[in-house]
Amino acid sequence: MKEKKDIRILAFESSCDETSTAVVKNGSEIESLVVATQIKSHARFGGVVPEVASRHHIEVITQITREALEEAKVSWEDLDAIAVTHGPGLVGALLIGINAAKAASMATGLPLIGVDHIMGHISAAQLVEPVEYPALALQVSGGHTEIVLLKDPTHFEIVGDTRDDAAGEAYDKIGRVLGVNYPAGKTIDQWAHQGKDTFGFPRAMIDEDNYDFSFSGLKSAFINTCHHADQLGQELDKYDLAASFQAAVVDVLAEKTMRAIRQYQPKTFIMGGGVAANLGLRERMNKEIAALEKAPKVILPPLKLCGDNAAMIAAAAYNQYLAGNFADLTLDADPSMELPYAEDYK
Amino acid sequence: MKILSISTATSDLSVALNEADHLVSEKIEENQRNHSVDLDPDIASLLAENGLSLKDIDRFAVAIGPGSYTGLRVGLTTAKMFASILNKELVGVSTLQALAQNFAGEDALIVAALDARNKNFFAGAYRGKEAVIADGHYHLSELLEQVGALPDQKVIFAGSDFSKYQEEIAAGLADKDLRLAEGEENLLHAGAIGRLAVSAPVLDPDQAVPNYLRRTQAEYDWAKKTGQEFAADSAYVEEV
Ligand SMILES: [Zn+2]
Repeated sequence: MKEKKDIRILAFESSCDETSTAVVKNGSEIESLVVATQIKSHARFGGVVPEVASRHHIEVITQITREALEEAKVSWEDLDAIAVTHGPGLVGALLIGINAAKAASMATGLPLIGVDHIMGHISAAQLVEPVEYPALALQVSGGHTEIVLLKDPTHFEIVGDTRDDAAGEAYDKIGRVLGVNYPAGKTIDQWAHQGKDTFGFPRAMIDEDNYDFSFSGLKSAFINTCHHADQLGQELDKYDLAASFQAAVVDVLAEKTMRAIRQYQPKTFIMGGGVAANLGLRERMNKEIAALEKAPKVILPPLKLCGDNAAMIAAAAYNQYLAGNFADLTLDADPSMELPYAEDYK
Repeated sequence: MKILSISTATSDLSVALNEADHLVSEKIEENQRNHSVDLDPDIASLLAENGLSLKDIDRFAVAIGPGSYTGLRVGLTTAKMFASILNKELVGVSTLQALAQNFAGEDALIVAALDARNKNFFAGAYRGKEAVIADGHYHLSELLEQVGALPDQKVIFAGSDFSKYQEEIAAGLADKDLRLAEGEENLLHAGAIGRLAVSAPVLDPDQAVPNYLRRTQAEYDWAKKTGQEFAADSAYVEEV
């Protein structure tokens, strides 16, 4: 029997404040992963400044491309395709990865694949273990809070979405009130584990008959509570504040996601995105799913694969490669790219 | 030596092929909106029309700044990647020096400038290839003062649309023989970049960044607020 040829993809990711390259074999085996983070730079400004991000991306792009090949011990001739995130994200930042990938494709003759960043996050799961379809994913990050149905490896549909702030955005905003440096998620998560849910913040939309989220009301309630205490000269316990905020976020995310799991009966459940690194959320989801009668296989990618990285883009690109979906040299950035909504999306 | 040159620094998109300092072929599209979409296809067709492939190019030249920040990065990212992957030379040429070459035959001081809003310009002044006023970010009044102090009699303003400042320029440089470039005289030609690239220093693709001539507003605001100095760019990015 003839052995199936390995497919090796080099991917670029530069949609926000991480510049990353990776070589992944057969959509599942990471041979190299290089991530250059700009967190130190944007911490000066309390958030990502797009022009600064773009400037940092171009500083490192050739170097990290070479490093990805060296670390994987491959040369250009060993690759089968080049992939890149083309949206959603910051347009100027996306353009560095896109132009680098297109130039690499031209210089080497390798085919080019454009990847949706959110599909990338979710596809990080296949770097951990095989995904069985249909699958359902909870994608939570600084820019996105979505429940996504994976019909097959290349058809992903949104069944639930945030109506206002993303969950990660809410963490950063209340972090500012608590004097926590950007990005605030990790610290708030740690504090939450040392406090109790004593404030009873609102759980918006938790009882509504859809899978959508809203976090702006929670954010306002949090800020009002802090301001009110300030005016009275009261000092509130920061651990309890963090615990109360996190409990409200996790409650809504878990409740809605569990309901979606019951409806769609996925074979695999995936949690992706930066907020998927949140321990409170991980613990809660694990517990609820374990209690199900017919539990799906759960894939929680390790922390390193939850943040923005090129390995997840290469994984998603492998599925597109098998489906024959290639891009040409006119591939452009699409900063507000969106996955399609499911037909029964309410 | 075959040189492929690229300019995406202004609204004009231009690519050219030079054999040493002789222009072989050039494409130029005026007021192009999306350089990122058209640059690679333009390069591909320029090469195909001349029976060449990227591997045949010895040196990649690019307008390295000043100019549109996003535009500069589109061109330089592409040129850097070509040079790095194919192990060929990379050179960066001043956008303003290239613009000044539109008047290469004239015995005049060429003030090349790009609009940077609020009467500010990214500008430099050239006698032939020689920079007389260094590329920088100048307010119009500052620029006129520096040009006025030079002995050159004949002065040509090129690159940006100066017509709305015609009176102010005339008043500021009353004793000079002035001309404002018009129409195609303001186009940025990749062929000019290719000619200048013959004698330009070779850059390390890993180190090459656009010559923006300005930091971002966020950085200036941060420095003012905190009183801190800027660290080297590399201090802010770390591999994890
Ligand atoms: Zn992301």
